[in-house]
Amino acid sequence: MTAMTALTAMTAPRAGRLAIAIVALLALAAPFLLADQPYFLHVLILTMTFAIPAIGLNLLLGYTGLVSLGHMGFAGVGAYTTALLMMDHGWSAVPAMAAGAAAAGVLGVLVGIPCLRLRSHFFIIVTLAVGMILFALFNNLDGITGGAEGLPGVPRPGPLDLGFMVIDFRRLGGFYWFALVVTLFALLVQYLIVRSDFGRSLAAIRQDEILAAARGVNVFAHKLAIFGISTALAGLGGALKVMFLRVAAPLSFELLESINLVLLTIVGGAGYLAGPIIGALVYVAIPEILRFADAWRLVLFGVILVAMTLFAPRGLSGMIEAGWRRLRRGPAVTGEEAADGRPA
Amino acid sequence: MAALLEIRDISKAFGGIQALDGVDVAIDAPGIYGLIGPNGAGKTTLFDVVCGRQVADRGEVRAEGRAVGRLSPDRLARLGFARTFQECRVFPDETCLDNVLFGAQDKRLGVEWRQLLTRGMGARSARRDEAMRLLTLVRLDTYADRPAAALSYGQRRLLEIVSTLIARPRFLLLDEPASGINPTLLNVLHDFLLKMYEERPIVFLVVEHNMPFIMSLASHIVVMHQGRVLTTGSPADIQRDPAVIDAYLG
Ligand SMILES: Nc1ncnc2c1ncn2[C@@H]1O[C@H](COP(=O)(O)OP(=O)(O)OP(=O)(O)O)[C@@H](O)[C@H]1O
Ligand SMILES: [Mg+2]
Repeated sequence: MTAMTALTAMTAPRAGRLAIAIVALLALAAPFLLADQPYFLHVLILTMTFAIPAIGLNLLLGYTGLVSLGHMGFAGVGAYTTALLMMDHGWSAVPAMAAGAAAAGVLGVLVGIPCLRLRSHFFIIVTLAVGMILFALFNNLDGITGGAEGLPGVPRPGPLDLGFMVIDFRRLGGFYWFALVVTLFALLVQYLIVRSDFGRSLAAIRQDEILAAARGVNVFAHKLAIFGISTALAGLGGALKVMFLRVAAPLSFELLESINLVLLTIVGGAGYLAGPIIGALVYVAIPEILRFADAWRLVLFGVILVAMTLFAPRGLSGMIEAGWRRLRRGPAVTGEEAADGRPA
Repeated sequence: MAALLEIRDISKAFGGIQALDGVDVAIDAPGIYGLIGPNGAGKTTLFDVVCGRQVADRGEVRAEGRAVGRLSPDRLARLGFARTFQECRVFPDETCLDNVLFGAQDKRLGVEWRQLLTRGMGARSARRDEAMRLLTLVRLDTYADRPAAALSYGQRRLLEIVSTLIARPRFLLLDEPASGINPTLLNVLHDFLLKMYEERPIVFLVVEHNMPFIMSLASHIVVMHQGRVLTTGSPADIQRDPAVIDAYLG
C-alpha cells in the first residue's frame, strides 16, 4: 500500500501532520468562521452527503478494483429506510441512520451473493440494473416512498446538551457538526480497512485475483464483505442527505447520480484516502460556489475528466501527492529516488 | 500409511486437447522432486489441478490421505499448498517486503476482522525479520522498499519464490523457477532452495527445463510426455534412460 494514499505521503513528515491538523481545525470551526455565510455551510454539508457514498465507492473502486454503477440506489435504500423509521415509527436520528445503513448493506450482500462470482464486466452491468430498479421503485411505490414527490418532512436530530453548550441540529451550524461527525466516521472506517490485513487482501485482489487466491485469499468472501460495507456507507450518506434536505426524493438517487459518484471518485483519486473528499469538493462545492447552472457543471466536469485521464490518471490526489513529493525533494523525483530517500 | 501426496489417474482436456491423460504420481516422503518434459507435456496443467486452479475431469488428489482434488485454491493454500506461476506473478504495486509479508499473513476473513478491530499485530508483522532474512538470501534486501513493478524479471521470480516460502507450506510447487534468471543468480537460487529444504524438509515439486539446474537440485525426477508420466527415477537414471532421451533430452 506504499505510495498508494495521499495520507501515506503525508503521515511520515511532520509538515504533513500539521497540514492535516490545520484542515481538521478549519473543518471543525467552519460554523464560526462562516457564521454570516450560511450558503457556504450549506454547500459544505451537501459536499459531505456526496463524500460519504464516495468513500464507500472508493473502497470498491480504488482499493478492491470493483466497479458499481448503482451506488446511489443503495444510498436511496438507506435514505428511505431512515426517513420512514423516523417519520412513521418515531425512531431517533442515530439509530434510524444505523438501520438505514444496515438495510443498504444487507441489500448489497443479497445482490452480491449471486453476482460477485460473475466476471467483472457482468458485475458492472448488474450494478447498473440494480441502480435502475431501485430508482424505479423509489419513484413508483407511491404508498411507501411517496412516488415522485418523495417523503417531505424528514426530521433533523434532536438537540444535544453538552453541559457547557447545547447543539441544535435543526440550525445549519449544528447540523454541519452532525454531518462532520458522520463523515469522520466514514473516513475512519475507510482508514481502518485500508490499513488492515483485510485491506491488504483487498489490494491483492485488485492487483491479481489469481495470485490472491493462490496465496489463500477467499476472493468471493472478501468481495462480498467489502461490497456490503461499501453499500452500507452509501446508505449512510443517503440517510444524511435526506435528513439535511428534509425530504427523501427519488431524483437524489437516480442513475445519473450514481454515474456522477463514480466520476467524482475517479477525479478525486480512486485509491487515495482523501480522494472522495477532494472529488466531492470539486464536484459539488466549486460549481455551487461559482454558481454554475447545472448543465455547465456537467460540461466543466466532463472537460476536467478528459484532461485528467490524459494528464493525471491517478486523479487530483495523485497530482497532489506528486506535487508534494516534488516540493519536499526538489524537481524530478522518480519513484526509485523517492524510495531511496525515505528515512530509515 | 497414506502417501504425503498422491496424484491418481488425473485427466484433463481443454476442448480437443488432452492436456493430462491419466497421470499417477505418488510422493511418500519429503524431498526435492523434479518434474520435466517437453513443452505441452502437461506440467503446468498438473500444477493447476493440484493447486485448485483447474478441476480435473477424472482422477483424484490426496494429501496425507485426504481428498483435496475439489478444493478451491484458497482452501488449498491454507492447507499448506503454495505455488509459483510459470508466467511469474507478484503484486506489482506493493513493495518487495509487503509482497513477502502478505505471504505470511493469515487471510481468513475472521482473523483479518479481529486484526482490524483490535489493531493487533497480525501474523504478518510478526514475521518481518524472517522476511528480511529470506530477501537477503536472494539478494533482494536492498530492494525491500521498492515496488515489485520496479524489479527485473529474474528478481521478480526470486521475490515470488520467497513470498511462497514465508507461508511455511507443506507442499511447494515451483513452475520453472530458473527461467529468466541470470547465471550468477542461478547459483544463488540453487543454494537458496537447498538451504530452505534443509531448514524445513517438505515436498518441493519443481518444473524445470534447465537440465543442469534440476538434475543437481532434485533427488527424484518425474518425466512427463503428452499428458502422461513417462518414467520416474534418480537424476542419474533419467539421464541414461533411452526413452527419456528420445522424448525429451534429445
Ligand atoms: N487454459 C487452457 N486452455 C486451453 N488449453 C490449455 C490450457 N492450459 C493448457 N492448455 C494446453 O494443454 C497442453 C498442456 O499444457 P501445459 O501448459 O500444461 O504444458 P507444460 O508441460 O507446462 O508446457 P511448457 O513446458 O511449455 O510450460 C498444451 O497443449 C496447452 O496448449
Ligand atoms: Mg508449463
